[in-house]
Amino acid sequence: MTRTPDLIDALVDGATPVRRLRPPLVRAALWLLLAALVLVLIVTGHGLRPDIAERLRQPVFVLSMVAALITGILAAIASFQISLPDRSRWWLLLPSPALAVWLSTIGYSCLSDWVSVGPNDNRVSETVRCFATLLLTSVPLSIAMLVMLRYTALLRPTESSAMSGLAIAAMTAFSLSLVHDLDASLTILAWNLGVAGLIAGLACLFGRRLFAWTALRLASIPADSGNRS
Amino acid sequence: MAASRHSRTPPLSLVATPPAEDTRRADGGRDWSDLMARAQDGDRGAYRSLLEDLTPYIRSIAGRCFKEPSDVEDAVQDVLMTVHMVRHAYDPNRPFGPWLLAIANRRIIDRLRRETRQRAREMALSAEHETFSDVPANLDQANFDEAALGEAIERLPPEQRQAIKMLKLNEMSLKEAAAASGRSIAALKVATHRALKSLRRMLQDRSGRS
Repeated sequence: MTRTPDLIDALVDGATPVRRLRPPLVRAALWLLLAALVLVLIVTGHGLRPDIAERLRQPVFVLSMVAALITGILAAIASFQISLPDRSRWWLLLPSPALAVWLSTIGYSCLSDWVSVGPNDNRVSETVRCFATLLLTSVPLSIAMLVMLRYTALLRPTESSAMSGLAIAAMTAFSLSLVHDLDASLTILAWNLGVAGLIAGLACLFGRRLFAWTALRLASIPADSGNRS
Repeated sequence: MAASRHSRTPPLSLVATPPAEDTRRADGGRDWSDLMARAQDGDRGAYRSLLEDLTPYIRSIAGRCFKEPSDVEDAVQDVLMTVHMVRHAYDPNRPFGPWLLAIANRRIIDRLRRETRQRAREMALSAEHETFSDVPANLDQANFDEAALGEAIERLPPEQRQAIKMLKLNEMSLKEAAAASGRSIAALKVATHRALKSLRRMLQDRSGRS
């Protein structure tokens, strides 16, 4: 076992100057900027859904989109705040009002569509294209989040990954709704809730290990770490 | 530059040295926040002072959660390593105490959880569990010098030697030994006590010489 004074000697030897992290709000804004860029690229590449003008006149659809976007923004802010050790755990509640509105609008439109269309309206080809959009949105955002929050591996990995997962899920759902006309009955539930639940669940399950893995890859521990961010 | 920044009596110079370099709190302790800010800029002296200042504080926190001194020290080192790894995440405009305490609590809780998980599925080995094919290897008294003890017993006065042999070597009870030797229980007790004292002295002398 290393003696504590020896460890202190080793740590002092490795104490190179580090660049301080920017405030969490600024870092969240940077991530959101990346999310906006990804959205713009996807909309440019794929084009908006054909019925967007008509849909934007429906209050429930607009409310759902706005709520998803706000959930994404607030969850991103919360995840950068909660990743720092001395910030309050109450930050976890920040996205909950928007999340509640988002979930309730999904539930409402699902129910009304179910009544009007019926439960057998599944379109397979559109679903496959949806899956591509989903990957294109969520993968770069997840990688960015992992790299930006890698230092939280030793602090609050579970809380941070839950919030990051929610932010990524909300952003992905927003981009899906913007690009694909897949609003009928079961598919809404499967895609919006399913994707949100899947991403948030995966983040919760593997976030801890992924953060630790990223932190190890990007920082040489313990001599010199955390000086690139 | 670095050396002059930390000396208590700054050398005379035409350039005024900033007075905040050895900032102290109202209670006389060093300002950890200031030390950490300087450590972030690469000041190793400040970093060493900070880590040395933090160690007893973290040890007192860990001491409340772990019994074994080695566990406490492991926890202290874990917290120090974590502080080192996330030192860029500290904002000097915020108080240092809550930041450190949050890290210490988090690391200690993680260690306690790991310990509980390990205890649930692992069992610590004791000497009795260790078995080797060589019979003498399993004896606890491997280093025990039996011959020296036998020799020391032979050098005891006859009453003491008899008491030791009956009560300790043959493991007789006081009553049985009294009946066998015809001496009173009190006399046997006194003789055993004196014999043990003499044996201890003799064996210590012996080990002191060797």
